[in-house]
Amino acid sequence: MADTKSGSGRNSAAGGSGNTVLSPLGQGPANLECKDFQEYLRTRQTPESLEKLYNYPPICLAVFRELPEIARQFIIRILFVDQPVPQAVVTSWGAQRCAKEQAEATSCLTALNVWRVTAIPGGLSAWELSPTFKKSVRQVLLGGGKPWPMTNTLDKDSKPRDIAFLDTYAMSRWRCVLHYMVGTGNRNGTDAEAISPDAVRILLHANLMKRDERDGITITRQGFQFLLLDTRAQVWHFMLQYLDTCEERGISLPECLSMLFQLSFSTLGRDYSSEGMNSQMLTFLQHLREFGLVFQRKRKEGRFYPTRLALNVTSKEAAATASVAMDEEATQDCGYIVVETNYRVYAYTDSPLQVAVLGLFTELLYRFPNLVVGVLTRDSVRQALRGGITAEQIVSYLEQYAHPNMRMVESAIHSKSCLPPTVVDQIKLWELERNRFTYTEGVLYNQFLSHTDFVTLRDYAQSIHMLVWQNERTRTMVVQKNGHDDVKRYWKKYSKSGV
Amino acid sequence: MEADQSASKEGESCIDLLVIVLDTNPSQHFVRQNPQNLTQILEAVIAFGNAHLMQKAQNKLAVVSCSHHATNFLYPLPRRQVELRQMDGQYEAFNLVEKTVKQQLGSILMNAPRLSAPCESLLAGSMSMALCYISRLQRNLAPGVKMHSRILVLTGSNECASQYMTFMNVFFTAQKLGITIDTCALDKTLSLLQQGCDITSGQFLKVTQLDGLLQYLLWVFLPAPQIRHKLVLPPPPKVDYRASCFCHRELIDIGYVCSVCLSVFCKYSPICTTCHTIFKNPGPLPIKGKKKKKTDKQM
Repeated sequence: MADTKSGSGRNSAAGGSGNTVLSPLGQGPANLECKDFQEYLRTRQTPESLEKLYNYPPICLAVFRELPEIARQFIIRILFVDQPVPQAVVTSWGAQRCAKEQAEATSCLTALNVWRVTAIPGGLSAWELSPTFKKSVRQVLLGGGKPWPMTNTLDKDSKPRDIAFLDTYAMSRWRCVLHYMVGTGNRNGTDAEAISPDAVRILLHANLMKRDERDGITITRQGFQFLLLDTRAQVWHFMLQYLDTCEERGISLPECLSMLFQLSFSTLGRDYSSEGMNSQMLTFLQHLREFGLVFQRKRKEGRFYPTRLALNVTSKEAAATASVAMDEEATQDCGYIVVETNYRVYAYTDSPLQVAVLGLFTELLYRFPNLVVGVLTRDSVRQALRGGITAEQIVSYLEQYAHPNMRMVESAIHSKSCLPPTVVDQIKLWELERNRFTYTEGVLYNQFLSHTDFVTLRDYAQSIHMLVWQNERTRTMVVQKNGHDDVKRYWKKYSKSGV
Repeated sequence: MEADQSASKEGESCIDLLVIVLDTNPSQHFVRQNPQNLTQILEAVIAFGNAHLMQKAQNKLAVVSCSHHATNFLYPLPRRQVELRQMDGQYEAFNLVEKTVKQQLGSILMNAPRLSAPCESLLAGSMSMALCYISRLQRNLAPGVKMHSRILVLTGSNECASQYMTFMNVFFTAQKLGITIDTCALDKTLSLLQQGCDITSGQFLKVTQLDGLLQYLLWVFLPAPQIRHKLVLPPPPKVDYRASCFCHRELIDIGYVCSVCLSVFCKYSPICTTCHTIFKNPGPLPIKGKKKKKTDKQM
């Protein structure tokens, strides 16, 4: 080997020419991240702050309902047991064949600090419910604590508001926020669509809108994805963002969360009292009022009505069924979209917001005073997908706003979705079409001097499961980035011993 | 794996309806022993019902009381709910359950007719009522919403063989509708209800100590039938599948069966009382042909 340079085989990385493959689309961070309550608690809260949250019974109830099914059963079983329960005993409660599910439940409970490991006499480790959590859950279930702050007795409201009124009110308030998001782009959002600076700040903070040099405030890609969510998910996402900023405003997070869940567990169409709330909570209430989560006649009035937006904020399914169950006459007036098997989409609407959202993933054909006709094409859907919208979001949007008549079709009653299956499948296929690549960060090794060198190193990389790709003829291989150090070390050792 | 997840997701999104049939007959053994016991049981049942509601926001609960003279709904009530403000930190909905059930049961017990001799509870009737309630809710569901229903019977009564036919109708209807029947017997083992649990693949449990009733309920009956396979629950006991005869309403091992309508009799009679078929005189060998082992046939 005439030209045996210092690092004959091991090239690249050392020389800085390491061929790092990066995802050109940079998909991860730019997409809208929707967390459910459990994820939120896991990522944002430390054990200490969780403990603080568990002092509030409404939060505990919400946490409990978020737990996996088996975990809920475990909690209930040990709720009235006063001493720690040996881990072996808890394990014996679950069936053998569901061990994996059980392990998940156990780790979830540990992560949320709902229970912890303690030692009991005899050297066994045992589970013990967090005392604060236990106390709060017992209180929710059986009573025997302080009343929730908003349940002070009130005189009878002289002009009680009915559910229909509250629904219209809530939706009109919420649409204001949405209209603001699209409206500003069109530069016609002036009069009725003005929202408070606070709300704007939250939208900016949440990255749903951004300040643009030219146009002032415009909607972002995440903003469009946000519009595609169903209302409940929108409210939840928005509230999470609000909670992020609430410490800055000097409002305590536990109190806010507790208040939010109190609202979420309240009864629709009933009035509650804001008497005895501190000034911070009153500010919070005013914000909620602005977004339409509560209705209050006057700012100073000590009486408010929670609206449907505030109910069951955490759970999608619950909100859907609860709203249907609570008043059976609830009209599904929100549905206006008809999707046909020929990919045509008819939307009975005149709202610029809805048309704008629809325009994100359909090619609009005709526009009439009360009807918009569009067609789902490969191009239009791919354009939406390129914009970071997922097929799942498109489908769920169409489902959510499906016209009541769509739900009445025979096939819709029996299947889960009311959309034509061909259309749903096709949209998903269009998305899969784009996912033919998987991106792995890696380091390229080439210019090996001998075949044996190459084979040795390749086999080593393979044995530690770090090999991404190899070609024997060109003596080239790609190793995962986190395996690079190992492989390099091995190569040094090998080449030293070999020489 | 994926199918598993979607199944559990579906489990999360559907409504679980629990109908509790509570035997409030004053001639039950434990009530005669100490009337306080009924209060204790009621507390446990309410806590259990609330624990069920606590599982998921969309869960539903109904409580039916069953006595010797009538069946009444304790919760929910058809008319507008009473205006209640929670006073002690209990969740509003749970508080509503507790107050309504107690209030209703109180007024029912006050208005009940005096009874001179111990009477049988109308359990089968109450269960039919529960079935009717379930099927009404089922019909009123919005399209696309799924509901799983089950019935839990809590009773300290004796075997009610006289309601054999009604019981069997209830069991087979429940089986057909996919409704699970669970039974918590507070006094004796009830073979009829045991059969019902077995037919609808529910749990049967005999609790002898009333002190730990709530814990028993939470352990055995709280998990919905759909997730019971994931938990270890008491193994099913050996079920006594004896039928009761149509003439004296007693459980029998061996009896006569009408060849036309399959009615069971403990004594031979020339005319079937159910379908009026006339049988030939049994002749010298009455055992041949007419006699059948009931237990074998049922299995």
